[in-house]
Amino acid sequence: MKAELEEIMFQVTIDTLEKLAFMFAYMGEDEKAWAKDSMVTGTVSFTGPFTGTLVMTISVEVLQELTANMLGLDDAEDVTENLRSDALKETMNVICGNVLPAVTGDEYIFDIGVPEVFPADQEITKGSGIPVGLDLSAKVILEFDEGQCVLSLFSDGKIPKDAVSPEVG
Amino acid sequence: MAINILIVDDSGVMRAMILKTLRMAGVPLGDIHQAGNGKEGLDILADQWIDLAIVDINMPVMSGEEMIDRMKEDPEMKEVPVIVISTEGSKVRIERFAQMGVSFIHKPFTAEIVRDTINRSLGLGDDDES
Repeated sequence: MKAELEEIMFQVTIDTLEKLAFMFAYMGEDEKAWAKDSMVTGTVSFTGPFTGTLVMTISVEVLQELTANMLGLDDAEDVTENLRSDALKETMNVICGNVLPAVTGDEYIFDIGVPEVFPADQEITKGSGIPVGLDLSAKVILEFDEGQCVLSLFSDGKIPKDAVSPEVG
Repeated sequence: MAINILIVDDSGVMRAMILKTLRMAGVPLGDIHQAGNGKEGLDILADQWIDLAIVDINMPVMSGEEMIDRMKEDPEMKEVPVIVISTEGSKVRIERFAQMGVSFIHKPFTAEIVRDTINRSLGLGDDDES
């Protein structure tokens, strides 16, 4: 199940980044030890047949380019922190909205919450960003030329057993 | 024929993306209006001539679904074509949009999908679909 979830998360994320921002990434193996202020973290929670939270930690440089591309800006220096936060929230919203039906099929109904972006110096842990009672179900690392993006899916483990194959696109 | 469009989404970045995509799709744009929630969208519809409304669903203050319900109750607004752009993935909810008489585009979207959906909604030209 973990490998299937991770494959789905990877395929949905690269499809989303390509369509939203014309960005391309490849699967990474190790989470690098980045300086705290060089990464931004956001979360989005959901309820449905299973409950969970998607956590996305992304290099500021990658997020800068993502935001500029989403907005069609020629100069990434025109991107403000507010725009970066908005872009990260919308990207998480789209990824989460596509991962969940890819996992369970389109018969199930999910409610996705409002994404949140956290200050660089706030550590995201259970009880602080991640609801207590959820455990890490899957983790995907994406590598870009400018940095890294780590997606972690925390859930209550009640994922329906009839999970679909990871066919996305 | 220039099309006056209302874009309703609580994300400023997504509104900008939709506008960028409309331009990429070659849609003949007239006046573009933007709203951050359903209530703001209804206020604009009451004041402006809108040919097409592009609406997100999950928004604060008033959701896109409630905004569409209110539009359908208003004689001045009920004929305005609506396209929902959403991450919604459940078959039940997507079918409800069709029952409400609105078109649906799933996020993430391409310029071609946006163009073809607008053409169908407004009864314009041919799209690339066979």
